[in-house]
Amino acid sequence: MTDARVEPTIEHDPLVNDEASEGQGTLVKRLVLVVVLIAVLGLPFLRSMNGYNYVLQVGLIVLMWVTLASSWDILGGYAGYISLGHNMFLGAGAYFSGMLLAYLGISPFLSAIVAGFFAVLVGGFFGLITLRARGPAFIISTIALVLLVNNLVDNWALSGGSSGLGFPLPPLPVEWLKVPFYYGMAICAIGSVYLSYRIAHSKFGLGLRAISQDETKAEVAGINTRFYKVSAFAISGFFIGIAGALFGYSLSYFRPITFFQIAIAAQMVLSSIIGGRATVAGPVIGAVLIALVNEFSIVQFGATALNIVVTGGILLIVLLFFPQGIVGSLRNAGRLPSFLDWD
Amino acid sequence: MTSLLQLSQVRAGYGVGPDILDTVTLNIEEGRSYCIIGPNGAGKSTLLKVICGILAPRDGEVLFRGAPVGGMRPDELLRIGICYVPQERTVFPAMTVRENLMMGAYSITDRNMIQTRMQRVIEMFPILGERWAQLGGTLSGGEQQMVTLGRALMVNPTLMMIDEPSLGLAPQVADQIFATIQGLGDLGITVLLVEQNAHKGLRCADWGIVLDLGTNRFEGPATGILEDPRIRELYLGTTVAATKESDQ
Amino acid sequence: MTNFLQVLILGLILGGVYALMASGLTLLFGVMRVVNLAHAAFMILAAYIAFFAFDIYQVDPVVSIAITMPVMFALGVGVYLLLFRRIEGTERYVEMTVLMTFGLALTIEGLLTFFFTGIFRSTRPSYATQSFFFADLFLPKGQAIATGVSIALLAMLWAFLTFTKTGTAVRATMQNRTAAEIVGVNVRRISAISFGMGMALAGAAGSLLSYLFAFFPSRHWQWVAILLSLIVLGGMGSLKGAILGALTLAVASAFVTDRFGPSWSPITFYLALFLVLMFRPQGLFGKVVRI
Repeated sequence: MTDARVEPTIEHDPLVNDEASEGQGTLVKRLVLVVVLIAVLGLPFLRSMNGYNYVLQVGLIVLMWVTLASSWDILGGYAGYISLGHNMFLGAGAYFSGMLLAYLGISPFLSAIVAGFFAVLVGGFFGLITLRARGPAFIISTIALVLLVNNLVDNWALSGGSSGLGFPLPPLPVEWLKVPFYYGMAICAIGSVYLSYRIAHSKFGLGLRAISQDETKAEVAGINTRFYKVSAFAISGFFIGIAGALFGYSLSYFRPITFFQIAIAAQMVLSSIIGGRATVAGPVIGAVLIALVNEFSIVQFGATALNIVVTGGILLIVLLFFPQGIVGSLRNAGRLPSFLDWD
Repeated sequence: MTSLLQLSQVRAGYGVGPDILDTVTLNIEEGRSYCIIGPNGAGKSTLLKVICGILAPRDGEVLFRGAPVGGMRPDELLRIGICYVPQERTVFPAMTVRENLMMGAYSITDRNMIQTRMQRVIEMFPILGERWAQLGGTLSGGEQQMVTLGRALMVNPTLMMIDEPSLGLAPQVADQIFATIQGLGDLGITVLLVEQNAHKGLRCADWGIVLDLGTNRFEGPATGILEDPRIRELYLGTTVAATKESDQ
Repeated sequence: MTNFLQVLILGLILGGVYALMASGLTLLFGVMRVVNLAHAAFMILAAYIAFFAFDIYQVDPVVSIAITMPVMFALGVGVYLLLFRRIEGTERYVEMTVLMTFGLALTIEGLLTFFFTGIFRSTRPSYATQSFFFADLFLPKGQAIATGVSIALLAMLWAFLTFTKTGTAVRATMQNRTAAEIVGVNVRRISAISFGMGMALAGAAGSLLSYLFAFFPSRHWQWVAILLSLIVLGGMGSLKGAILGALTLAVASAFVTDRFGPSWSPITFYLALFLVLMFRPQGLFGKVVRI
């Protein structure tokens, strides 16, 4: 009888750091975080900038996208449930606060937080329905969802129907106009990234990841997957709703299609994917990148349909060659700089 | 006895996961039937998948009659005579028994040959003749297994690999299947059988191979392996005395 | 409220065309587990081809099927080879196909908008505005012709799948991909052919919709949601289910339109989708889908 034996070998793991470099890494991380926060919060103080209002406008848009992508990632990244209708929350928040302003004169700066909770309720409700499906059926239902909501709002007289809602801008002098919106978005952005961070390091986040890996196994292991999924769906709507309320107000006029168009959902998804799903830093990087590129191409080429082409094209390329996104690919190659590693 | 299939230093695994097979070196002689046993996770199914083309090896060579076949597609391998009967039920659920067997003959163009072979399959599995017009999805587990084996026989394979045929079958039905497998040798088919039920599997084969932790550890005549006390305790899970009892 | 029979007929006729649209989508999912969010975008692309054929060369939309089908077939095979072949067998494959087709849909929509703008288009053959009359019922001629063509194409599809060797291989692959592989079916080739065929069906549907509806690039989202609702209702991966789902929902939406007006018609499909998801997620005929 033959007897073949092989001894297993243990290879050195290049990703394991020794303690000294780890300490350094944490210092760099904290430093970068502080610098970024100061830059973001301090920007409006540079009043003598050329094109001050424009810079703040771009800034608040970028911060809005950070909010959107980060929040989307809670369901789409950690739990692995791709929603192509998450812009529904944006419209929900905008209409909630917009209607309160139009009919009761309540400033969205006050009602924005309530709009956020409203979005959570909406998310919980629709989540209960759509999350009965898995995989492709769920994705399809999110598309149908946003189209349904679009249709309903379009046909509803109170919301202004397809003619939309209009209201006056906040009673502030022009040179201060953008500032409150900017800070509002900054709070949303910081809030949603922090939320993402807390979830990533919590039992809740662990449960979501388990669902993403293998939902059946997670169920069998005793995780109440339904509760986790619906909660993720609902929570992810919170900051998006607030952002919607603020953004709608800043536009002073919007229609259903403003928020319910697919391009917004597409950019949310793309931002998260290109940055790296299921990471804390990924959606932030992706959102900033895409929003800035978008802004640049609008300035250079005008807001044409080519933007959509580029979004679609980039999505295809990223999916084919870098499905893990920037943060994911760097991490796989062992080259993730510590200030991007918050997971 | 000529060498039909050779594996040398084969490494394989799924996706980006770890190696399931690690330096597997095997020599399969034509005309013999082999039973591969081993604990769960040893890589038995993976081994078959590498040979039948569903999984490409990461390293090492797979030679069929001297020619390298590692990484070839299942349909290409079928044309040179390598046939695979997987673990999962692979009956076409919305096709009748007849249509299932006809699909088995997908790669054959000679009509007469198809007819003769169908006859032969019905002779081997008379119950399929009864269930001729029944849909594959409505058959019992044992009948589905027979359809799968019969389908494989339609191409008169040189090498047939069967993965855990008795899984989910009642003991008497499983015995039927094993009896059929034992008879395959008379048809000149070289059989590679992977079986969880090591006793029954080794009984219907000439030669036994023990796979553990991704590599082959022991091999020899099947009866020898059945009776070797060390192997019995390690892999067959019983002491000599207890087995002698159940043999009666 | 108009005649019950009248509404029923209008619904059935529309259902025929929806069935054609849904069959291509089902083929793609059944053979390759691809959820093609770009299906309607491809249909609109074909509609533009039909439109320009009509506008410049006076080619009748129905006749243009002879152009759109081969063109879309080739496009489908190309898309399969370039995009979907690469991600075959990767983890989270189904999810990837959704995202990829999403990206494709955006790209196509953007290109169409860029080249042809968002102006409403449609071809205007004479039969688009005529009707057949009998008893006190009327049958819009254009829609009747479209349904006739759809039935003919679906019949040809059925014949192909049932009587040809390749068609049988497609059916086999849809039922059990591994089993098809081990009996010698070249599943790669079959996947490419199926992709082409699915796209060809979308092409034919596009030619028909060029005169049935006014179309513009971003309209595809509404159709894709409708089509996907049909598929989910019928059970993803089942051709029989897709056709039945199409007929059922088209008739239902016809009654809704009759009672509440056309702007509520799409809602029928979305509501049906949500109801199915709540009570019978696998649809009427489908296998339970897991990623």
